[in-house]
Amino acid sequence: MRLPVHWLLLAPALLFVGAMAIFPLGYSLVLSFRDWKLARSPVAGDFVGLSNYFNLLTDDPDFFETVRVTSVFVTADVLVTVAVSLAGALLLHRAGRLNSLARTLLILPFVMSPALIGISFRFFLNAEYGVVAHAVGLLVPAMKDTVWLADASLSMAAIIASDVWHWAPYMTLVMLGGLASIPPDSLEAARIDGASSWRIFCDITWPQLLPVISVVMVLKTVFALKAFDTIFTLTNGGPGNSTKTLAYFVYEQGFNYYDMGYAAASAYVLTAVLLVMAGFYLRLIFAKDRAI
Amino acid sequence: MKRRGILQATAVSLSSALPSWTFSQGIGSIKPGKPYAGTEVNLLTVVAPQFKAHEAKLAEFEALTGIKVKYQYVPFANTREKLTAELVGQSSQYDVLSAMDVWGPSLYNLFEPLNGMLEEKKIEMESRYPYAHLRASRDGNGQGKNILGFPIRGHVQLMFYRKDIFDKLGLKAPNTWDEMVAHGQMISAKTDLSGVAMYYGKTAGQNLMIWFNYLWGAGGDLLDAKGQPAFNSPAGIAATQAYIDVLLKHKAAPAASASFNETDAVNSVAQGKSAMVPVWWWRYASLVDPKVSTLKPEQVAFAPLPSMPGKPNTTYTNTWFYGINKNSKKKAAAMEFLTWLSNPEIERSVLLDKSMNEVVAMQTKNLIDADVNLRYKGMHVFGAQALKGAKGTPLFPQWPQVSDVLEASISELASGKTQVKATLDDAASRVRKVMRG
Repeated sequence: MRLPVHWLLLAPALLFVGAMAIFPLGYSLVLSFRDWKLARSPVAGDFVGLSNYFNLLTDDPDFFETVRVTSVFVTADVLVTVAVSLAGALLLHRAGRLNSLARTLLILPFVMSPALIGISFRFFLNAEYGVVAHAVGLLVPAMKDTVWLADASLSMAAIIASDVWHWAPYMTLVMLGGLASIPPDSLEAARIDGASSWRIFCDITWPQLLPVISVVMVLKTVFALKAFDTIFTLTNGGPGNSTKTLAYFVYEQGFNYYDMGYAAASAYVLTAVLLVMAGFYLRLIFAKDRAI
Repeated sequence: MKRRGILQATAVSLSSALPSWTFSQGIGSIKPGKPYAGTEVNLLTVVAPQFKAHEAKLAEFEALTGIKVKYQYVPFANTREKLTAELVGQSSQYDVLSAMDVWGPSLYNLFEPLNGMLEEKKIEMESRYPYAHLRASRDGNGQGKNILGFPIRGHVQLMFYRKDIFDKLGLKAPNTWDEMVAHGQMISAKTDLSGVAMYYGKTAGQNLMIWFNYLWGAGGDLLDAKGQPAFNSPAGIAATQAYIDVLLKHKAAPAASASFNETDAVNSVAQGKSAMVPVWWWRYASLVDPKVSTLKPEQVAFAPLPSMPGKPNTTYTNTWFYGINKNSKKKAAAMEFLTWLSNPEIERSVLLDKSMNEVVAMQTKNLIDADVNLRYKGMHVFGAQALKGAKGTPLFPQWPQVSDVLEASISELASGKTQVKATLDDAASRVRKVMRG
């Protein structure tokens, strides 16, 4: 029996995806049903059924606190990123040499390492010599000498700001693509009919851009749920545990506490949340597609 | 010459007070005839100038044994992850691994016990290293019979202060924590500097390192004899209150200390913003390094860490050790390397190398060496004294969780939003759950 050529051609890619994605996913799923504390043994222990999931969902107040923190972070992060990137795209949509240059430069924050961004923001916000802390103190005298990273709300604002700074430029480029796909004829017709810019935005631009915005929201939600490096280097989850997100929690269980079974179960809960969010937004996109 | 004489006399008297320290034996020897020539030993270690200095001397070792040693460095923040990967993968990629004392209990399965090899080479660990460091390389939570590595890098804490500012205000190095607060308040009032740079922020448990001294100095402890939390005892609460009051009540520390980690606090002194910092001795190098500090060496002085009134000084200690990977296929060659590297003369030559300011000394002989103390103004005599009573972190597998709970509590307290007793009681209930495990 001869193997079809297309399977032979696909084999390297399938092998690669299987080894790099499918196997780790399957193996970690199996681990989530086992008791494996690395400090006790370098090999995985007994199967414990749903015990890791049960403990996580019924007996771990830290887990629920991190879910609450993650919800606040993701909601604010996604909304601010979308707002900033939409505003940026509308500003840069027009033709012009300066706008072209700005669009090119937009990629720079996106290519920076999130860990480096976290460290940089830590310096910017240092109460003794941080340039941002100092500038805010000058602009808002009530915030002079504020220790940003010692306050739970301001620390949350700091990690959101650093993540928005990282992602908003890239999302702006995505939205610029969306804006470019809106037929210029309809915009031109509206202008001839005397519609104001606001009216054009509400009745033409916004509805036609909504599928792109939905995609941006899906992507940003997924990226925000996975955010780790910036939080690790900027706040370390503090003060207290006020900026400890679910991704940070998973890292702690695996790499600080060496509880691999529990870490795998936590990671799968995070994956489940990601899948639900993705499904929700995808339904939104298709609903809009039908409406359009 | 007078200063040299004083230091030498101090060193001699210290060594005579400790008759069990013998230096002429137990160094160990390299096997003759280069039996492992051509072998390549791979070493995974954390980034430190001390280790770079060791690496620079490898030609000497290679000429002696024919063994080639390759160093791979990992930043501190990633070291534990890398060791975890080695443990999970049961890899033999690295033959020699470095680990910090508090990680030891989680990583015992990664290291080969060295007892047999030490006996064969007639290496006497007890006579070479202070107990505070040696315990870090033993299994059984520091009490076991197996030695898993050679202590290679370790620290005591000292109080570094601005000598020029202290001289100007007629102050002497603080003997007690209360004096430190009083000095800090005076400095804040009479100069444009803050008093003492403390570090209450969250980074790898650094905000616990001075807190331990308050806790132990006040007669408190982390755990009781049954392994249950004791840090919320009346002594623990008083100690923690005093520790937090430096910032919130007495304002002897800059407000930014609430989020500082150790590096931020050292930078605060190095950049001329604060006048004191209680910190590990190795930070001396960055305080006087013209590339990163605005201070000149003559502006920086040091003293033993302050104590609670009427109580002896305490210092928390921290130890790194080099051990042999249990899965290594070149254990004998790796042991040759460790034998060579742990010779006190190697450490001494790094300490006396004037191209760097590497203060770390692990071996008793070097701690009281007259030339070493002359170069560092007696710092190592202080270190030797401090190490006699030094405590390290209790070594138990649940320590990472316990440390995280305590670190978050201290960080929360420094934000001024919670009360000491309630926060410590809550931490104790979390720690009890962790210990039940």
